[in-house]
Amino acid sequence: MIDVQRIRSDFPILSQKVHGKPLVYLDNAATSQKPAEVIEAISTYYREYNSNVHRGVHALAEKATQAYEDARGKVAKFIGASPSEIVFTRGTTEAINLAAYAWGDQFLKSGDTILLTLMEHHSNLVPWQLLAARKKLNLEFMHVTKEGFLEEAEETIRRVKPRLLAFTHVSNVLGTINPVQNLDKVAHSIGAKVLVDGAQAVPQLPINVANLDCDFYAFSSHKMLGPTGVGVLYAKEEILRRMPPFLGGGEMIKEVYLRESKFKDPPHKFEAGTPHIAGVIGLGAAVDYLDQAGMGNVRAYEEELTAYALKRLGELEGLTIYGPPSAAQRGGVVSFNVDKIHPHDLATVLDEEGIAIRSGNHCAMPLHDRLGIVASARASFALYNTTSEVDVLVEAIEGAKKVFKV
Amino acid sequence: MDIYRDEILDHARHPRNRGKISNPTHRSRTPNPLCGDMIDLMIRLEGKNSWVKEVGFEANACAVSVAAASMLTEKMKGKTKKELRRLREEDVVSWFGGSLTPSRRECALLPLKALQEALAVRQAHRPEPSRGKGGEEK
Repeated sequence: MIDVQRIRSDFPILSQKVHGKPLVYLDNAATSQKPAEVIEAISTYYREYNSNVHRGVHALAEKATQAYEDARGKVAKFIGASPSEIVFTRGTTEAINLAAYAWGDQFLKSGDTILLTLMEHHSNLVPWQLLAARKKLNLEFMHVTKEGFLEEAEETIRRVKPRLLAFTHVSNVLGTINPVQNLDKVAHSIGAKVLVDGAQAVPQLPINVANLDCDFYAFSSHKMLGPTGVGVLYAKEEILRRMPPFLGGGEMIKEVYLRESKFKDPPHKFEAGTPHIAGVIGLGAAVDYLDQAGMGNVRAYEEELTAYALKRLGELEGLTIYGPPSAAQRGGVVSFNVDKIHPHDLATVLDEEGIAIRSGNHCAMPLHDRLGIVASARASFALYNTTSEVDVLVEAIEGAKKVFKV
Repeated sequence: MDIYRDEILDHARHPRNRGKISNPTHRSRTPNPLCGDMIDLMIRLEGKNSWVKEVGFEANACAVSVAAASMLTEKMKGKTKKELRRLREEDVVSWFGGSLTPSRRECALLPLKALQEALAVRQAHRPEPSRGKGGEEK
């Protein structure tokens, strides 16, 4: 059970006022707020044992290395993987680029097809465009129905016969939860590899990559109560072992000679240079926090909250909600438009009431094209949001309609 | 709310000079890179001093951009090309009474950007499509 008032007290930023009103932070799909435990973990590291990892034998170095690798273990356990399958990156975007360069360049050849979807975030689209240009590959796209589901996904996989299927677990615009397990099965049955963008999913759903059986899974620390500047690429051990390095440099090498080097085993092979040690430690603390809350509880709470939001927003006249009609089919992301009010203007008026929503194309221009719009407003929830905050949102939208006389 | 005070809202809801003009001599379709909003600004300059005979715009944009376009095109009427070039960002920003946040500033400046881009390129003079007997456009 989520005790939301107790949870809210763990997040220092939530107690502030914006334009004289209590902050109502509904932009969690963009980034999540951090509990005091995470902030403390990071500042404690810097205050007490900051040291470079993996190389020193002195006390501080040992402590920092231990904390860094402990965090790796925590993240692995959190998603049902083993530590050697967890590569730390700068974020989801870098994780996907890592897969595109270190796996794609090596294992895809001219004429191969990558199958994506129309609902992808630019970070799970542009790296494949760049790869396709480099290697002369075809890009195909699964369509999205009016209700926000993937259209004929399994048939499309069988028809297109891609070498790689890459898609989002939870859409950052529509909120749609895609059937990862089913799509993985179909893709594997035709010999394709699968990369899943889990940036929106990991903060909201219990994840087990062994059950999902995807080959790659990418996500970000900062969307799951952790600091910015850290992300994770999970990849099956046998895949990582066959991949050449991504970035080269210190930390990922065993031996270095003038004209060649021997590389470490995964995951360290893919972590060149001094990592964001504080960030990884912070991510470890975020995992601890979410573990304590229980991801099953988080999902149950957010599903209820999203259902409430869909109901209340659905009562407003002239408001169009995008994505699946029921909260059971979606994560805590609700994108919408109010007739005759541009999302930017709506977001500005809501800001005056202390409400933070996002407006624009949410890094998903092709999806907005498909929806026939240029921009939308988006409210997205985390485990510290409340039904009262949804009420404040709805009231403010009604107020905005009066300001714009619609 | 300053940014949406009555005067600005009036320009947003009843924009002046909205619509196509015939035979524009200068034109620019300019997007706002931050959000994909788009403004299509059309100007017809005539005469020895190249003064603004007619101006119009189409926009798929927020209230701030539309209001800015409405106010800008009103200010443009009767000005010479030289005078148009002297319109600055600070002028546009001042119409909003200092209420623009940095991100909304980009919205307000979109029409001015379109004007500067339009002036940089002279449009080839094209006659309007004439109507055939059955009312079809040629």
